[in-house]
Amino acid sequence: MTFLYLGHNCATLGEIFELKAELNSDKKEKKKEAVKKVIASMTVGKDVSALFPDVVNCMQTDNLELKKLVYLYLMNYAKSQPDMAIMAVNTFVKDCEDPNPLIRALAVRTMGCIRVDKITEYLCEPLRKCLKDEDPYVRKTAAVCVAKLHDINAQLVEDQGFLDTLKDLISDSNPMVVANAVAALSEIAESHPNSNLLDLNPQTINKLLTALNECTEWGQIFILDCLANYMPRDDRESQSICERVTPRLSHANSAVVLSAVKVLMKFMEMLPKDLDYYGTLLKKLAPPLVTLLSAEAELQYVALRNINLIVQKRPEILKHEMKVFFVKYNDPIYVKLEKLDIMIRLASQANIAQVLAELKEYATEVDVDFVRKAVRAIGRCAIKVEQSAERCVSTLLDLIQTKVNYVVQEAIVVIKDIFRKYPNKYESVIATLCENLDSLDEPEARAAMIWIVGEYAERIDNADELLESFLEGFHDESTQVQLQLLTAIVKLFLKKPTETQELVQQVLSLATQDSDNPDLRDRGYIYWRLLSTDPVAAKEVVLAEKPLISEETDLIEPTLLEELICHIGTLASVYHKPPSAFVEGSRGVQHKRLPARAGSGESAESPDVGHSGPSEAPPAVIPSQGDLLGDLLNLDLAPPTVTVPSVQPSMQMGAMDLLGGGLDSLVCSSRALGGDIGGSPSMGAGLGAAPAAMPASLGSAPTVGGGLGDLFDLGGGVGMPTGSYVAPKTVWLLAMKAKGLEISGTFARRGGIIQMDLSLTNKAMSVMTDFAIQFNRNSFGLAPAGPMQVLTPLSPNQTIDVSLPLSMSGPVMKMEPLNNLQVAVKNNIDVFYFSCQYPLSLLFVEDGKMDRQVFLATWKDIPNDNEAQFQIKDIHLNSGNRNKYVLDRVLQNYSKKTNVFRDCMQKQMYDSTSVDSLVHDSLLLKGSYDAILKIIIWCNRIC
Amino acid sequence: MISQIFILSTKGDHLIYKDYNIIMKPFRGEESKDSINGFYEMVTALSGDQPPVVMVNSGFLGELMSGLHFIHARQGGLYWVASTKTNPSPFTIIEFLNRLAALTKDYCGSLSEKSVRMNFALIYELLDEMVDFGYIQTTSTDILKNFIQTEAVSSKPFSLFDLSNVGLFGAETQQSKVAPSVAASRPIMSSRGEQGGKNEIFVDVIERLSVVIGSKGVLMKADIQGEIRIKCFLPTCSEMRIGLNEELSIGKSQLKGYSSAVRVDECRFHQAVKLDEFDTFRILKVCPSQGEQTVMQYQLCDELPCAPPFQLFPSVEKDYVNRSVNLSMVLIFLKLRCDLPPKSTALNVSITVPVPKGSTSMSQELSSPDQTAELQPKNKALLWEIPRFPGGAQLSALFKVDVPGLSSASLLEVGPVSMSFELPKQTCTGLQIRFLRLSPTQTGLSQRWVRYVTHSDSYTIRI
Repeated sequence: MTFLYLGHNCATLGEIFELKAELNSDKKEKKKEAVKKVIASMTVGKDVSALFPDVVNCMQTDNLELKKLVYLYLMNYAKSQPDMAIMAVNTFVKDCEDPNPLIRALAVRTMGCIRVDKITEYLCEPLRKCLKDEDPYVRKTAAVCVAKLHDINAQLVEDQGFLDTLKDLISDSNPMVVANAVAALSEIAESHPNSNLLDLNPQTINKLLTALNECTEWGQIFILDCLANYMPRDDRESQSICERVTPRLSHANSAVVLSAVKVLMKFMEMLPKDLDYYGTLLKKLAPPLVTLLSAEAELQYVALRNINLIVQKRPEILKHEMKVFFVKYNDPIYVKLEKLDIMIRLASQANIAQVLAELKEYATEVDVDFVRKAVRAIGRCAIKVEQSAERCVSTLLDLIQTKVNYVVQEAIVVIKDIFRKYPNKYESVIATLCENLDSLDEPEARAAMIWIVGEYAERIDNADELLESFLEGFHDESTQVQLQLLTAIVKLFLKKPTETQELVQQVLSLATQDSDNPDLRDRGYIYWRLLSTDPVAAKEVVLAEKPLISEETDLIEPTLLEELICHIGTLASVYHKPPSAFVEGSRGVQHKRLPARAGSGESAESPDVGHSGPSEAPPAVIPSQGDLLGDLLNLDLAPPTVTVPSVQPSMQMGAMDLLGGGLDSLVCSSRALGGDIGGSPSMGAGLGAAPAAMPASLGSAPTVGGGLGDLFDLGGGVGMPTGSYVAPKTVWLLAMKAKGLEISGTFARRGGIIQMDLSLTNKAMSVMTDFAIQFNRNSFGLAPAGPMQVLTPLSPNQTIDVSLPLSMSGPVMKMEPLNNLQVAVKNNIDVFYFSCQYPLSLLFVEDGKMDRQVFLATWKDIPNDNEAQFQIKDIHLNSGNRNKYVLDRVLQNYSKKTNVFRDCMQKQMYDSTSVDSLVHDSLLLKGSYDAILKIIIWCNRIC
Repeated sequence: MISQIFILSTKGDHLIYKDYNIIMKPFRGEESKDSINGFYEMVTALSGDQPPVVMVNSGFLGELMSGLHFIHARQGGLYWVASTKTNPSPFTIIEFLNRLAALTKDYCGSLSEKSVRMNFALIYELLDEMVDFGYIQTTSTDILKNFIQTEAVSSKPFSLFDLSNVGLFGAETQQSKVAPSVAASRPIMSSRGEQGGKNEIFVDVIERLSVVIGSKGVLMKADIQGEIRIKCFLPTCSEMRIGLNEELSIGKSQLKGYSSAVRVDECRFHQAVKLDEFDTFRILKVCPSQGEQTVMQYQLCDELPCAPPFQLFPSVEKDYVNRSVNLSMVLIFLKLRCDLPPKSTALNVSITVPVPKGSTSMSQELSSPDQTAELQPKNKALLWEIPRFPGGAQLSALFKVDVPGLSSASLLEVGPVSMSFELPKQTCTGLQIRFLRLSPTQTGLSQRWVRYVTHSDSYTIRI
């Protein structure tokens, strides 16, 4: 069998020749062996397409084994040899009439896999017959074939009425046929979100439930997944479906089990909670979920990710099953981490002792990542279960005694959180913590320790010494530590003003004068101002009582959780991301929702809640949220460049403005106060000399009060043609989908620079930092010309406007539609993706009009027979004074090359509003370059 | 929906490649390579432990394969990979890949790179019937045998390896009552082949034991995952009756009498199993399809019917070789007792003890020459191996581990001890097969084999 090991990518001529001879041999056995060899070469990636005619010649045979091999080859190469593939059509058609059902099915199956347009025409008749074949094996193959054909030519399938035949097959007597019909219809329905393909009604549901009991395990999965999309009319129907699905929970195939869990989790939502059946169902769900964990590690991982969702939605299901989530020493790390996460979610007063004992064991294991997470978990338990806090703290102290470096550091980080949850309760441990000060080398741990020292400065005798020791290497610390240190020292100063004047001056000058980091500098200035104007206010601000931290962390946002519950068992539930975030194209864009509970009154809304997008919405005008490429998911976003070159002082001041809101007046008043600050008796601390640097930098920033618009609007208004239209901002990224970050924006062209105007709004509870932006490849190579400048952390409920200059130097890839742009925005929380569309007029350069002669010549080049007429509806003529015309026709031309269009684009600059709306609408009608070209020429004429 | 299926060798060679809906460009040979090589790079770049769902990012592989998700399983030293562009159930796909591997084993006899290479035409044929346009159709041998035309090419197993392989299908070859090791690894379809004619059926009861024993010898957690597996070479499908212990009770709620009833918490059955006689007589009725299948899975949590098979009595001390230069070591003394009945034996027992960071060398005192022990500084652990451990015996070992600069805290790094072992002819639940009857009774042709084995899944003893 040496032929399998041939090492080259291209079969040599000798080999081809030899195979050719063998293929044309008279002996059947030899022929068969030859085809096998050909397929072997194909598998290892060699090009054996040259043998196409010879292999096709072997097709006419009554030997099924040989026929199958030939078909295998055909499927692989037909696309590259469409003309040759036609040669095979006759045999296919003949085979579809064969008395042997195996051959009929084989022919129909293979034909569907040959994606050559010419062949599809011949496929229709045989397919129609096969859909009504007497043999169920042929029918079920034909059902799948409809889906195949739909993928190649959707229109053809609709025209030929195959969809109706497919719907009829749902009532077929053979369960396998039903399952395949359901699978095919579900897939076709996904690409037509608003069609009524799978109009499930109680009758069809009944048929499906009957078929469910009889078909193969894989068919059961199709049917269950389809059932999950159904919206029962009332709780009674919901209960009866649940009752009939429940037996699936004890199926040996875990995929069936999980699909059944999905159906039950969804329909349970409709059952009133006081119903007995509800309780029974909850009890029935636990054992199958536990059993899933006895599978291989891979399946365990998938199961755990799903259980994580279920536990967040309905913790009561598994509340007694804590033990199964205890980690085994030989679990792979990814399983261990997931188990740990679930353990914390399930932790309650009843089981906390057990959990803590386990966690303590884990904290002595070998794997560093796991140990760290275990230590953190102890802290989370303390925060979640108040009664256990004391035991958790003592456990953490025991761990600190081990002096294992990373354990100590993690412990300190979580103890900080415990302090925030239970202030003034466990301060006795501070002494022990301070002993370990020297061994802390990770920024997070150092920052946590500094926070503790600052917060409890009054109880630590040598707090000033401790903080001073950090100050020595101030500039080598990470930003996180620097900020913490600044705050801690200010706190210390406010608590013990007499001994620490020098220290606070030192840190303020380090932060404001010697640092390039705007965050740090701004915070330094704010403290400075506060301290110098009103120390009492400073005390109130800096030493204010902090809000307690919440019990649960890392919870998935409720709307997302609901959607993910509807996707239990799928990839989405493993990634914990909605399918729209990683599935390309229209598929999976529909957002699924849980049904409303029956008791809640307004639940009778409509059965089509499950479908997204009201049908009257203008198609694709506003970029759909889901239209994202998985492509973007792993983009490596560079960390934002926090350091801003000091050449732009005005920018920094502008950013500062944002931070305080009323800082302007503060700055003014400080100016007014001028020199006498120093002598202010209320200060009691010689701050007088300190602000020397301030007025200077303020002086260079006369526009502080001028608002952000001006500051960021680089070169705004310079050389702008009048009347350049900027569309109002539309929401591109919903807060719901992006953990609280909402982005709206628009595009503009100002002074020859393309700009993306963004408004970032923080609708979450926590501060957002570290913004960065990146584009996917797009049709015109748009790319950010520089990093996105979001200089200050975005605090909750705050909005910031950013103008991002764009260049056209990025990588180019044709998008659909042409002006689609996919964007990834990163912040400290996560990376988010959205897509938007820019007006094509954005790309038009200002200089140069087409010469009249040139235009006429171009115009005449277009043959008359290419003229087409149609109506354009709903054009929004929203601004400008030259928009009085109404468009009634657009000529389409298919003879022009796309590069002509680009040339035109480069040369022309027209009234952007009209061109924009024209181009926009024409894109919707027929997204081709040629159409746009024609429109531009047409515009030229009317201008 | 599955887009592509691959079988890759450990070296990343493509053994099988099937594309169900043509995803990209015409010359699929090439881009399949792009995508699958990308997968292979990712899988090998990450150290062993990888979650099964891997998404290959388009960043370094170009737009060809944007948004392609790979799901894989490893079986028989091969990567079984499926790729998808939509949002399918990974459970379905992993189940399917495992089933595909099992079927390949059934049809080709064994699972190896060689057998897959030799039977590629057969596997393609199987795949064509099993999956159509990405929809899984069937994985049942009963259905498949109607369609499959290609004969398996059986590879002669490498005999030396098999002799030493004291595994499931070949435990203790010397005994006449046990089937030869190669008997179970042959293709199910090669009835016309040289090994044909033997009508055999193997029934295995396999249990996996996971136990956590606390520091004072208290049993903290124990559970058993068990299954009854059939491997069937009977060409015709006749009904088989499997009788389990009559006193078997199922579920937690049932009261236990004084008799030592065999109990399991929960069980699941293959969908082909008929249970009409199960409730009263504990008889499973099944028409086994050819090949391997799991008829029943069961589990028992928290309560073991017998004592855990091993007890460990450890002691850990710190000692100084030379106090002045702080040359210190850890003395680990382990006493291990096997609580199995005297006639039974545990095989391939290995004990792993974590040792403090910075351990440099180790000396040991073991009680017999066939045992071995070594220090694995990379894993921060020492490994003690005992090939045979008879029931009722007690073994002890002393390890001196040199750890320069030992602090008292580092003693905490010693433990928990983990063990792995195999208990042939044993079930921890006590589940037994009373009888195995084929009806209609076939004339002497058919041979029936019943075997029991318990594996350690995770056996941890805390110090």
